Amino acid sequence: MTGAPAPDAVRVLAHGIGARHDLPLSPFYAFAGAFAALFVSFLALGLLWSHSRFTGERAGRPLPAAVQRLADARATRLTARALGLAAALSVVLWLLLGPADPDRNPAPGAVYVLLWVGLVPASLLLGPVWRLLNPLRTLHLLVCRALRRDRETGRRPLPARLGMWPAAAGLLAFTWLELVAPDPASPTALLVFLGVYTAVHLTGAVVYGAHWFDHADAYEVYSGLLARLSPFGRRPADGRLVVRSPFNGLDATPRLPGLVATVCVMLGSTAYDGFSDAPRWITTVQTSALGRTTTATLGLLAAVALVATLYALCAGATRLVCGGLPHPLTAFAHSLVPIALGYLVAHYFTLFATEGPHTLALALGADRPAAPEPPLGPGGVATLQVLAIVTGHVLGVIAAHDRSVRLMPPRRAVIGQLPLLALMIAYTVGGLALLIA
Amino acid sequence: MNRARPARTALALLTAAVLALGAGACGGRATTHHKPGTSHAEDTGSNGRLLKADDGDGHRLRQVDADGAPEVDLAVRPDSEDGWNVHLTVRNFRFTPDSVGGGALAGRGHARLFLDGHPLARVYGAWFHLPESLLRTAGGGIRLTAGLYADDHTAWAVGSSPIRAAATLGKASASPDDETTMVDLAIKDGKVTPAPGRTEIAKGRTVRLRVRSDRDDVLHVHGYDKEAKLPAGRTVTVTFTADRTGLFEVETHESDLLLTQLVVR
Repeated sequence: MTGAPAPDAVRVLAHGIGARHDLPLSPFYAFAGAFAALFVSFLALGLLWSHSRFTGERAGRPLPAAVQRLADARATRLTARALGLAAALSVVLWLLLGPADPDRNPAPGAVYVLLWVGLVPASLLLGPVWRLLNPLRTLHLLVCRALRRDRETGRRPLPARLGMWPAAAGLLAFTWLELVAPDPASPTALLVFLGVYTAVHLTGAVVYGAHWFDHADAYEVYSGLLARLSPFGRRPADGRLVVRSPFNGLDATPRLPGLVATVCVMLGSTAYDGFSDAPRWITTVQTSALGRTTTATLGLLAAVALVATLYALCAGATRLVCGGLPHPLTAFAHSLVPIALGYLVAHYFTLFATEGPHTLALALGADRPAAPEPPLGPGGVATLQVLAIVTGHVLGVIAAHDRSVRLMPPRRAVIGQLPLLALMIAYTVGGLALLIA
Repeated sequence: MNRARPARTALALLTAAVLALGAGACGGRATTHHKPGTSHAEDTGSNGRLLKADDGDGHRLRQVDADGAPEVDLAVRPDSEDGWNVHLTVRNFRFTPDSVGGGALAGRGHARLFLDGHPLARVYGAWFHLPESLLRTAGGGIRLTAGLYADDHTAWAVGSSPIRAAATLGKASASPDDETTMVDLAIKDGKVTPAPGRTEIAKGRTVRLRVRSDRDDVLHVHGYDKEAKLPAGRTVTVTFTADRTGLFEVETHESDLLLTQLVVR
């Protein structure tokens, strides 16, 4: 960003978007939250059930047939596809033809706020919505139609080892763009990212068939993992839409390779977002001899690596305590999803509530509309943040508890949970500490 | 058929009335003070009781019941550049700039400002900027009073005293005072002194940023969207009122440096 000063030089934002950040959490709230998390954890150890209760995919009460017909109707599906494609097209057109100033161009807000943050409430309420909206899936479908090829079969079968790894990489790339890239809101950066992303995933789909998107598309995986906590889901046995306890949805999280990595990227990147606000880190980045982008990249990678290392240590300890547990790493990864959700809510609630309407107003043609006032005052936001993080923690502890009593021999079930409990407390206290910073 | 005729007559009358009103409204120049044909004569209508007493400035009082009477509160805060900003909070009252000079309607009218008892200005809305020059012209003073007046210039009153609120104009705004948080920042060779940190500011205070950069740059206060050119080697002052809570970043745009974070709560 050196060179002649331009009157409307491209805004450089520490975050992808948004001019106002939430106030740092007051230590009172943080301590209250940490204490609640500790208390609940040990209460859970003593009081929770000793035989597994969650039935995963088999659970749920079917929704009325009319609702199912409506949801499965061809018209609904086509509308969703068309909406997704139209939204993606308009974002690309705004990026290509719109002004560079993110205060006048809704495209960066559409990507960073409406898509990235908006997928959280959408998936929580409606299930894995991105699967329906995903414009890449629709593009692939259209291309296959045009070439009269079967979209499900690719040239090669999808290797099982791949699992969610491409999604983890995609998430990391996206969060890097949002949090680290020198100019995340510039149309060029977004176009390059979206172009590369589209190319990679369309290639993947052509080679491996449309199944590629199920576990490799970062946004589908992100939306799918969050949708595990939705009260609505589809029962694989009979294809019925059901209302179910979010715990059962969570319990049914497919244990694929790369699941741990995906969850660690979700947690680590959100943690880095909180951390990157701290003046000390900003000073480090600004004065580092390595250059800013390199330092910030290292910071993001370190945050993800720290989350992952702690998790690996914990899995090792669990195996040490219980012995012979198959795949202890992936066995408990699902229990981190609610914790990641807690982080996401705590960090992005205000952003979504203010920048979301702002972006929509921009897209509808308003000239520099004012972002609405945040819906919650400072106290309300602090309470929400602590509640989100502690609730995520509690859900995680319960999910992990049920999984441990199922997998571990009864004698060791309590002691076997201890490493995981310690890990979750560490994540939760860490998450709260980041909000103070 | 019988009913149609009165209906048609009524419609014709209504049309005539609308036309006459419309012509009257369009004919005269829009004015916020006296409409053509009106004067300072007090309205003798039934809204409130016209008292013999006046407000000290020749306007008679119009007494209404305390129950549901108009109320006013007055708040002043220093303007960041010149004088004061006056904020009137009214209840049971509406500012009616278009009908001043007309009859006294309950709960309507305008406000008047007095400085140490001398009339200063008429106010037709909630906010009013009081420039230093106006204060000087009025002979100076620190006691600012606001009273509510009806469209016929009678003063709304309760219990034979006018409805008023008062505030004190503190020290002159030109000099930094207790209400102002000063933040001094310097940029040299891409380094910020003092090192980027957080500045705690109570909501509503005036913030005065003084920034000096060793190269041409642009200063930007996020959230408040204040921008200022920073010519190399000159100290630039940016002043604003911190009236939104949150964490806001102060940055430069050319060198992309975070200077400080303002924590407004």
